[in-house]
Amino acid sequence: MSRPDRREASQLRALNCSLGQLNRADGSAQFSAGNTSVVSGIYGPVEAKVYEEKLDRAVVEVKFRPDIGAPTTKDKWMESAIRNTFEREILAHLHPRTLVQIVIQLREGDGSVDSAAINATSLALVDAGIPLKCMITAATCAVLPDDTTVVDPTQEEIDAARSTHTFAFASGSSTGPLYVDSRGDFTMDEYNHCYELCALATERVLAFMRTAIEGKVTKEAKISAA
Amino acid sequence: MVAEIGPSNIESAFLLEALKKGTRVDGRGIYDYRTLKISCGPTYGLAEVQLGQTRVLARVSCEVTRPFPDRPTEGIVLFNTELSSMAGFGLDSSRSSTQEVAISRMVERVIKQSRAIDSEALCILAGEKVWTIRIDVHFLDHGGNLIDAASIAAIAALKHFRRPDVTIDGEEAIIHDVRERNPVPLSIHHTPICVTFGFFGASGDMLVLDPTLLEEQVQVSSFTITLNSHREICALNKAGGIPLSPDQIQRCTQVALAKVDEVNEKIQLALKASTA
Repeated sequence: MSRPDRREASQLRALNCSLGQLNRADGSAQFSAGNTSVVSGIYGPVEAKVYEEKLDRAVVEVKFRPDIGAPTTKDKWMESAIRNTFEREILAHLHPRTLVQIVIQLREGDGSVDSAAINATSLALVDAGIPLKCMITAATCAVLPDDTTVVDPTQEEIDAARSTHTFAFASGSSTGPLYVDSRGDFTMDEYNHCYELCALATERVLAFMRTAIEGKVTKEAKISAA
Repeated sequence: MVAEIGPSNIESAFLLEALKKGTRVDGRGIYDYRTLKISCGPTYGLAEVQLGQTRVLARVSCEVTRPFPDRPTEGIVLFNTELSSMAGFGLDSSRSSTQEVAISRMVERVIKQSRAIDSEALCILAGEKVWTIRIDVHFLDHGGNLIDAASIAAIAALKHFRRPDVTIDGEEAIIHDVRERNPVPLSIHHTPICVTFGFFGASGDMLVLDPTLLEEQVQVSSFTITLNSHREICALNKAGGIPLSPDQIQRCTQVALAKVDEVNEKIQLALKASTA
């Protein structure tokens, strides 16, 4: 059964990103997959409030703002999910008693928003120069009623799906995913299949991110050398 | 980095000295706007404005709701202009300062109270169903003059937005899916655009158009005039600061009239580019 936008089952939408577009933020990145577009801004390491600082490491705070309407519990959930994912991968011990604030703004939502948010945040952290153990890349899969599994589903596909799964992996790691979010009715076989598809998809996302970052670094090197 | 502590004495002194000689810190003339970039879409009702280092995103969405009981034939227009931490560290809607609240109220007033949107055209079935139009303005980067950028983004998003088409069949209303029938634009009477001036000096004798963040921090007074392309004044806002003379207000109005035409043209180009 063909997808509404004629993609293959394991085909991602057109990826696009730009780094360092914001002036006030220490680092920023805009990541979009098709019509899903997310901006992530990083402030850090900055001074933490006395009541929230940790003596031996940086504190990570995440704010997620939806495109339409005031933030709801769904957005709070996303904040906590992203914080848990990145907290361990940021080398927080290098910056004790500071705060790393991640602010994510959804520009347009057309499915796979959580993976776009994770990818945008990864890029933004690199742009901000926050030390990381690895790059974190994410992808979403949906199992449709006709038992086909599609990668990077649009909102329409997610609404029709029996289950959706988002996986985030650490680059260069052979251990399991850093983040898993599975919703709906599914069998373990379907879950494993989605796992494999997402693992492949995140490799492509990582290659894309690498190209983007290399481009930015080369450009900056030219500017400072000139 | 620490929280905002304002500009240093050297910076303020330099800015004022430069102004006395008729130049601004970023090299602009006193009546020059910064580079204005407007982009709309691809989603209907999405507009992003970059005014110098200030970046604002506006999203328009709609929903069918019941009307207010005292206005059964009018649709509802809702505004949400929260200043998020992305625009500047420490700027948080939960601890909104008077300045941030003023910005939100200003943008809302300008569009709602100037009756830019035709609310009667938003009625589907009187007393039962109307369109609620929701405008969310997100501030991504605070480089000064948020009001002007926000008003441009909001009105561009409103003009770009398309709502589902509706057919009335007696007592029934059929709301067509956007894939069945092309969505229709909102009925917008006019395009109000805010133009902000900052004043400096003991008697406010030096003024600039479109202040940057540094200029905003140093200014002694601020004045915003909202005009539309029909050369009508939609709103004047001068809240506090040192007193200004009617002559100064007149001068600002003349300058603003010319600027509004330029901005309107840019909005038209952006709207055309998005449908191309």
